[in-house]
Amino acid sequence: MSDADFDDREFHPRGTVLIVTLFVLLLIVLWGSVYVILLARGTTL
Amino acid sequence: MLATYELTTGQKRFIWHHLLVAMVALAIGTLFGPLQAFEHSGLDLYKYLDPVIKSYYQGLTLHGVLNALIWTTFFITGFITLTTIKGLNRPLSHPKLNQTGFWMMVVGLLTAAVPILLDQATVLYTFYPPLQASWAFYVGLTLVVVGSWVEGWGFYLTFYQWRKENPGVRSPFITFAGLVTMVLWQFATLGVAVEILTMLLPAALGLIEGTDPELARTYFWFTGHPLVYFWLLPAYISWYGMLPKQAGGKLFSDSLARLAFWLFLLLSVPVGFHHQFVDPGIPQTWKAIHAILTFGVFFPSMMTAFTVIASLEYAGRKRGGTGLVGWIRALPWNDPSVASQLLAGILFIFGGIGGLTNASYEVNAVIHNTTWVPGHFHLTVASAVTLSFMGISYWLVPHLKGKKLYSAKLGVIQAWTWFIGMLIFSNAMHVLGLLGAPRRTPLGEALYVPAEWEGHLLRVAIGGAILFVSAILYFWNIYKTVRNPETAEVEVPIAESREDPQNTPAWLDSWKPWLIATVLLIIVGYGPQLYFMIRDISLTSPGLRLW
Repeated sequence: MSDADFDDREFHPRGTVLIVTLFVLLLIVLWGSVYVILLARGTTL
Repeated sequence: MLATYELTTGQKRFIWHHLLVAMVALAIGTLFGPLQAFEHSGLDLYKYLDPVIKSYYQGLTLHGVLNALIWTTFFITGFITLTTIKGLNRPLSHPKLNQTGFWMMVVGLLTAAVPILLDQATVLYTFYPPLQASWAFYVGLTLVVVGSWVEGWGFYLTFYQWRKENPGVRSPFITFAGLVTMVLWQFATLGVAVEILTMLLPAALGLIEGTDPELARTYFWFTGHPLVYFWLLPAYISWYGMLPKQAGGKLFSDSLARLAFWLFLLLSVPVGFHHQFVDPGIPQTWKAIHAILTFGVFFPSMMTAFTVIASLEYAGRKRGGTGLVGWIRALPWNDPSVASQLLAGILFIFGGIGGLTNASYEVNAVIHNTTWVPGHFHLTVASAVTLSFMGISYWLVPHLKGKKLYSAKLGVIQAWTWFIGMLIFSNAMHVLGLLGAPRRTPLGEALYVPAEWEGHLLRVAIGGAILFVSAILYFWNIYKTVRNPETAEVEVPIAESREDPQNTPAWLDSWKPWLIATVLLIIVGYGPQLYFMIRDISLTSPGLRLW
């Protein structure tokens, strides 16, 4: 598809939605991994 | 269509002077980065610098102050000068006011630099009391901040004049966003101004016996967290308002972009207690409130991620890219300015995730005061911000100097080396933090380093070395551009919005409600706790010089 064929009105940011979704999943995994470390260290009395 | 206002030679020179000071600061500050990284791996080069540089901590102070405070503040005020003039299509209304502000900043920088270089202000860039620097350090920093305020007033007056002549017209996005950045800065720096003027400077002058470190830290983080957004928002101005044009597309949504900036203004100040989760003098309730507000900043951050990526997807598809992610390859990766900013954005993905970890009340306990924290802020201020600013300078310096960029290829190599070096460096710092390595510590001298840290400490050194090479490539390219005999007329890339900005709702271009809401939220978020801390102030901690 060339610039001339590009239709602004038909543009839907599907790739963006995918990337943002992957970002949120990555965030959950990485945040969760630190949370697991917190749990593994146990309680402090 | 308005005629485009072209900057005069004098205006270009004025902006260039900001960049020049910023780049000199970055160049000197960057010299100490690899020294710290090498020290962590056991190679201490500081001992060869004695008596010029006397300690690891003096080098760390220079690195932090010059890179985090000076490089950013000068670049940003210069950049916002440009976005004000180019966006409004008019010169500054009170150029002498802006010039006064700039020279105040320069005098302040020199005043602060002398004691740092003389080892009289080895207090790191956070200058926490009871560490006590020479009074000149505090006076210098105050002048830098007040000078930037004065420049901000010049921007406001210019905008006010434009607004009077253009009632009802949506303000141009790059100008609007630059002004929000400056307003945020002026709210934010009230904290550090009060800290210096009521405690640190009087104590350094011997007018009071000591300081109240807890209150001082609270003042500092009133400034310290929104400071991150003062650094980030100019990069966002470029990502929203310029990068789409450079990539061959348009801004996906003017309304979303403006809403994100307003939310950053609203939410970025009353969040400072998330830097003080382990400070004993702050009630848990207030820490929890600030933690929640910090998560509020996640929303404009995600709006920014969505809008910027959508703008890039628009550009990529327009350039012939297909498939869910195929458009990414179609972006102009051979343009050093674009490549720098794209790579800065990718690194920022990890910076954002680390930021949410920092802000989580309990999870923060795992990484607090570990090398995770500098690993994190090297992904924000040293990547999302600095690599973006480097990318901006690849068109801005040619624009200001009327010279062709010396080497686009070298610029692309520089962007990738920064990206790779930072991936190695910051990943190692994050992992070390999770393993318990303390920050702000010459780990090369520490006797307690377990074997499991050693490989990661070596990666810190390797990453630091690659970053240093990248910095040299950057400065060489800029130097050769300034000296380039080949002239060129480089335009300021200002992206159009897909929709007419005039259709953006008026409440997104109206200052009053947002400013009132910001003040109210700051009062609610900080007022009660500050009241009690000031009422019970205890100026009893004498200043210490531990170096």
